[in-house]
Amino acid sequence: MSSSMNKASLSDWQMLREVELFLFHEAELADGNQYEDWLELWTADLLYWVPSNDDNLDPQKKISIIYDRRAQLEDRIFRLGTKHAYAQRPQSRLTRLVSNIVLDDFDTESGGWVSSRFVVVELRNHVQTLWSGRMRHKLVREDGKLRINEKHVFLLNNDTPVGNMTFII
Amino acid sequence: MNQHIIQTSNFSGKTHWDKAALASLIEAGRIHSRVYTDPELFELELDRIFSTSWLFVGHQSEVPSPGDFQTRVLGRTSVIMVRGKDKGVRVLVNRCRHRGAQVCETETGNTKFFRCWYHGWVYDTNGDLAEQTGDEAYDDSMDRKAMGLTPVPRVENYRGFVFASFAREGETLTEFLGGAAAIIDLMVDASPTGELYADGGSHKTEYRGNWKLVGMDGYHPLHLHASVMETIHRDPDSGIGSTHRSNPFDDTAATYTRDFGHGHSMLDFREHRIKHYEQHSEFIKKTSGGAEYIDAMHKAHGEERARMLLSISGDPHLGLFPNVQLIHNQIRIVTPLAADHTQVEMIAVRLGGVSDEINANRLRHHESFYGPAGAGSPDDTEVFERVQRGMQAELNPWLDVSRGMAREFTDVDGSTVGRISDEVPQRGIFRHWIKLMTQS
Repeated sequence: MSSSMNKASLSDWQMLREVELFLFHEAELADGNQYEDWLELWTADLLYWVPSNDDNLDPQKKISIIYDRRAQLEDRIFRLGTKHAYAQRPQSRLTRLVSNIVLDDFDTESGGWVSSRFVVVELRNHVQTLWSGRMRHKLVREDGKLRINEKHVFLLNNDTPVGNMTFII
Repeated sequence: MNQHIIQTSNFSGKTHWDKAALASLIEAGRIHSRVYTDPELFELELDRIFSTSWLFVGHQSEVPSPGDFQTRVLGRTSVIMVRGKDKGVRVLVNRCRHRGAQVCETETGNTKFFRCWYHGWVYDTNGDLAEQTGDEAYDDSMDRKAMGLTPVPRVENYRGFVFASFAREGETLTEFLGGAAAIIDLMVDASPTGELYADGGSHKTEYRGNWKLVGMDGYHPLHLHASVMETIHRDPDSGIGSTHRSNPFDDTAATYTRDFGHGHSMLDFREHRIKHYEQHSEFIKKTSGGAEYIDAMHKAHGEERARMLLSISGDPHLGLFPNVQLIHNQIRIVTPLAADHTQVEMIAVRLGGVSDEINANRLRHHESFYGPAGAGSPDDTEVFERVQRGMQAELNPWLDVSRGMAREFTDVDGSTVGRISDEVPQRGIFRHWIKLMTQS
């Protein structure tokens, strides 16, 4: 193994570690229902997308569970922060694992696409619900920090009837 | 007067819902909560409502080409709505005539045949038995022509909306819809070409509560959806705000509850929304193809009707008892699973003859309020579950639905009308419910 390959592997590892820590931080904020802090992770332009029924659909032709640009995501966070978002009264208690993190097309200077899988256990009103699926994050580096520009969440059960999903997925 | 109920609610064994017991559940302005909680009543509902009434199956645009199919559940019966090779739309029971296995396990798709995996019987898309494995073992006493998939006895279509009834005889679909048919038109005619396509995907949700809780209620939005009202104030053009300008839920607004009989009811926003036509048409014009849409609507429907149709954005806000509602841009199918468990599918419709951008905007507006992560639906189901839990307390089991009883009136079209917060729909639904439940 040449020394240049070692160096490349090491920088890959550092890049991966930075992304992992970022996704773990995002997961902590989401699990803690820290809406405003979670919103801070995003870039000014953004897309937060959770398709409905199918992972491969054209959101301009088919309904999504969530298809938020900046204005809609701000509305979502604002509403959850009011006293009257009853589907989150009480709030969901959440614990999630994010794993299988793979850098797809990623550059340490500018960022790129990251794939991962997740399991979320939700407890609310004495009922425990399991949510899981696949995620793709488009992360970009702004002022030295990683931020979320796009997040796509492909729920394993997006084609079956689901209950209240008003927590941050 | 309520002696009968009190006795049955204290009775731990099997209850018998005879006519007198059923009749005592519904009074002029109040309803006994057993109508939502009793498992035995739920079974009776499947028998007396879902086995007799017209039920919504789907929209013909879900099966545009021969071989296209869509499965649905009517009461407890899985059916296949299929466009046959003869191009006719049929509603067939999803059950092999041989030993009862479901022949179609996929919700939607295109096929030439439905094949039973158990012993290999094959049916064509007209439902006819096409192939019986080991045919020689059956003698001529089996009439193969009569061994096709069982068609639901009656199927009718109103402007693309396909309804079916398990009753071999009974009122026609026209009689069943009555004055509500003209309200279905409000959704179809939002397309300048009168074309509706139920191909915008769907939200599938469920809640632990009774199916009748979905109902039609103009009293709750200011209270249950207070979070949405606060959000709307930030930007009246965003999401649901664009169809709820000023306050349509104030009793001084020109908004009404309307009961058409048969349990069909409506929140009637027409008069209110048309007052905001100028503002709303400016909003439509901001979208690519918006000016052309307004123009096409005027050409298709004339100025007066076009202004009304555009003002309400194709939102009839209509509930057709027992299993479908047309709200905003969705066809909402309500499927009862148990006394305390319900599935709701919201199918997004696309308007023919308008730009892709307008239809995409309608999807975005839908998502902002409806579905499992919307700003509205989850609060609705949250309160349905809270109601279901609350109703377990039967010390005083009556629910009050008397709001506006003294001020409702009969309109020229025969419908009963109240202010937006009046419980006209609730009374209308249970008037029809008790009629169906006590029929012989």
